Amino acid sequence: MLELHGLSKRFGDTLAVDNVSLTCGPGELVGIIGRSGAGKSTLLRMINRLTEPTEGRVSWNGEDVSRLKGSGLRGWRRRCAMIFQQFNLCPRLDVITNVLVGVIAERPLPAALVKFFPASDRARAILELDSLDMAHAALQRAGTLSGGQQQRVAIARAMLQRPELVLADEPVAALDPVNADVVMDALARICHERGVPVIVNLHSLEIARRYCTRVVAMAAGTIVYDGPPSGLTPAVLERVYGSRSPRPASVVEAA
Amino acid sequence: MTVESRSQAMAIAPQAMRARPRLAVMASIIGGLLALFAMAWDLQLAPGSLFSGLDKLALFGAAAIPPSDGGQLPRILKALGETFAMAFAGTCLAAVAALPLGVLGAKTVISQPVVHFAFRRLLDWFRGVPALVWALILVSAFGLGPFGGVVALALADVPSLAKLFSEAIENCDSKPMEGVRSAGASPLSELRYGLAPQVAPVMASQCLYFLEGNFRNAAVLGIVGAGGIGFELEERIRIFAFDEALFIIALYMICVAGLDTLSQKLRARLA
Repeated sequence: MLELHGLSKRFGDTLAVDNVSLTCGPGELVGIIGRSGAGKSTLLRMINRLTEPTEGRVSWNGEDVSRLKGSGLRGWRRRCAMIFQQFNLCPRLDVITNVLVGVIAERPLPAALVKFFPASDRARAILELDSLDMAHAALQRAGTLSGGQQQRVAIARAMLQRPELVLADEPVAALDPVNADVVMDALARICHERGVPVIVNLHSLEIARRYCTRVVAMAAGTIVYDGPPSGLTPAVLERVYGSRSPRPASVVEAA
Repeated sequence: MTVESRSQAMAIAPQAMRARPRLAVMASIIGGLLALFAMAWDLQLAPGSLFSGLDKLALFGAAAIPPSDGGQLPRILKALGETFAMAFAGTCLAAVAALPLGVLGAKTVISQPVVHFAFRRLLDWFRGVPALVWALILVSAFGLGPFGGVVALALADVPSLAKLFSEAIENCDSKPMEGVRSAGASPLSELRYGLAPQVAPVMASQCLYFLEGNFRNAAVLGIVGAGGIGFELEERIRIFAFDEALFIIALYMICVAGLDTLSQKLRARLA
């Protein structure tokens, strides 16, 4: 069970995330929606501490993970895998090495530095790739793959971490509709088959409605809706995205 | 309508409505020409001194044909090999020394602006000393021979290579490193998997480029006594054996061109 207690993040004068509290349990596929700049990415990144919260607390099964340092923090990052909009693979390394990055948190440092991985880890990497139809590309450089293929490699890497929680920051925003479905199907399968909670930031309302068991809507750093996708009425959406009244060009550009 | 839109545009961006003044460009061209004439006067770059040297050069040229190895081909080849070995050893030494300096010089590693600035200026300052000057100093310290030459090449390359390495590190994409960090990797693993694959090919390509340059520079170092092909060449010129000098120069040019081509092919594959 993931619990966020009064989480805030301040960048200079702007309050990106403002006192957010949220709980999320096994089997939930939570979609976070909202306009750009609503604080979705910052919220997600504070959970695995790629961004440090200014205020508030994150706990996992009762353990406070927002005070962890060093190897404790690295252990938490291993347990809560992240998937990025731009995949964040190493384009010059081959696919299987990119996937094996998922186990280096548990490998001894000297072995990791010389890229030594036991056969059991390699076998797991191949099997995870195969379940995403990517085993054929295991020895190809990650940079030569298409966006959808790279995102599947990134999911395989996340799975090698044996995560207890998966965070996905706009995982399909850079993909075409077909690949977006492939990636969202994979995330939904992880959530339902392995019972791992998945929190996913989404641009597309339609995808949120189709895949998520629960939708959290953010506006200006705060949660304005938290409930089933069916509750996203036009009135709720107006609170999330604002009315479609004409705005000055600069505002539209920034959004 | 047009008059009105013109005045509107004038009010928004008056500079953009006027043609740029060209006066500054004309003045610097005229100033540059005047400076050129003044310097030519000072250095006595007169056509007379050109012609007086030309007939001597023609005599040397005539004496150099046909080129001849003087029956010393094995010795010349050995000296050529020695020059390449000097260039190779000097580049390797420079790369090893420049790697930690390059890491320290990267803004992304040492973000403290004063330290970063001071470190970069220090490198720039040492970059002002060319290999030839280092060789002159080192040959008087360590005596004649390739040792001083190798160290001179390395010392001259370290600041430039370190600066290029720093820039390679600064220019790399931070997303792969973030991806590795998000998997719970330690900072060293993050460098190994996220940074090294990005910068290693760039650094290797830069080292190859410096090897090309060092093979050319190594000949000059030989002339000041640091061994190799330059030493042989200097000896031939001093005893007016121009046919043998031309032979060495031609052979050397072929080797330089060969190394450059090979290195360019390798660098293209690294890119």
